[in-house]
Amino acid sequence: MAERSDREVLEDLLALESRLVSAYEAALRRDAVERSLGEELLAQEREHVAALLKTLGSGADRNPRATVPSPELTGALGSRAAFARFAERLEANAVTAYAQAAASMRDPRLRQPLGSIMACEAAHRVALRDVLGERPLVV
Amino acid sequence: MAPSLTRREALGGAAAAVLLASCGGGDPPPGGAPKPGSGAALFGSLLALQHAAVAAYGACAEVLRGRELAVARAIREQEDAIAGRLAVVLRGLGVAPPAGRTREEYQRTFPRLRSAADALHFADDLEQRQLRAYLEAVAEFPAAGSRATAADIGATQAAHLAAVRLLQGLPAAEGPFVTGAL
Repeated sequence: MAERSDREVLEDLLALESRLVSAYEAALRRDAVERSLGEELLAQEREHVAALLKTLGSGADRNPRATVPSPELTGALGSRAAFARFAERLEANAVTAYAQAAASMRDPRLRQPLGSIMACEAAHRVALRDVLGERPLVV
Repeated sequence: MAPSLTRREALGGAAAAVLLASCGGGDPPPGGAPKPGSGAALFGSLLALQHAAVAAYGACAEVLRGRELAVARAIREQEDAIAGRLAVVLRGLGVAPPAGRTREEYQRTFPRLRSAADALHFADDLEQRQLRAYLEAVAEFPAAGSRATAADIGATQAAHLAAVRLLQGLPAAEGPFVTGAL
């Protein structure tokens, strides 16, 4: 399989961030997340989207592949615990995706900033595990 | 915010800076003769940092109780496991891993921890510095496999930092870009 370009990897991260933004927006609308936490996480995901769009420059799709809420998200909006569980999985996927992206970037200037976003997503995961009353660290 | 920063510098920042600077300068270098560009020297520095972190959490545990102690112990366990992982990487590169220092030698470089708050400030600063070290390594390692290892460990350090922040009553993430923006 051909190696993917930096741009393709960044576009995938943008799609992932768009899913996170959609999820937190929906959760706030449906009161499926504590308001201050939801607003904080949403604001940070929006900053990530803006940074990725800026890096991608012209031609970036502002909302790629994330316009329709997934059935899984719809189901998760029924309770705060269900949403926290759903969002924790999304954040875990984001951590993995950013770690792989940071390591694989051909442009070395992108590696550390992508790692910086990865660290933020890892912190989100800890916050959501805290909401669930789980141990903060995954063993 | 200013009093917090001053306190951090007094308790954690300055001490952690001394501690981490000394990790790179005072510890014996990795044994053997690594190939140039293998990343062995950087892995060796990260391992020295891990040894110091394990010792630091041991010191923190002496003044922590309850949930804070449980989290500190869990972090220490993970820091120790990361040290083991880095040692395996170094051996794979044909280099003997650095052994680290004695508990007493590390203790001399730590601040005096009089309370749980002192310990959590120290741990917060330590985790910030560890996270930065791993993310800088992601940028610096020449081999993609080494960068992947550093990124993976960086994610664990970010979780440690977030857990320590929650124990201090702070938001898990300090901001959208923990160590620098795109």
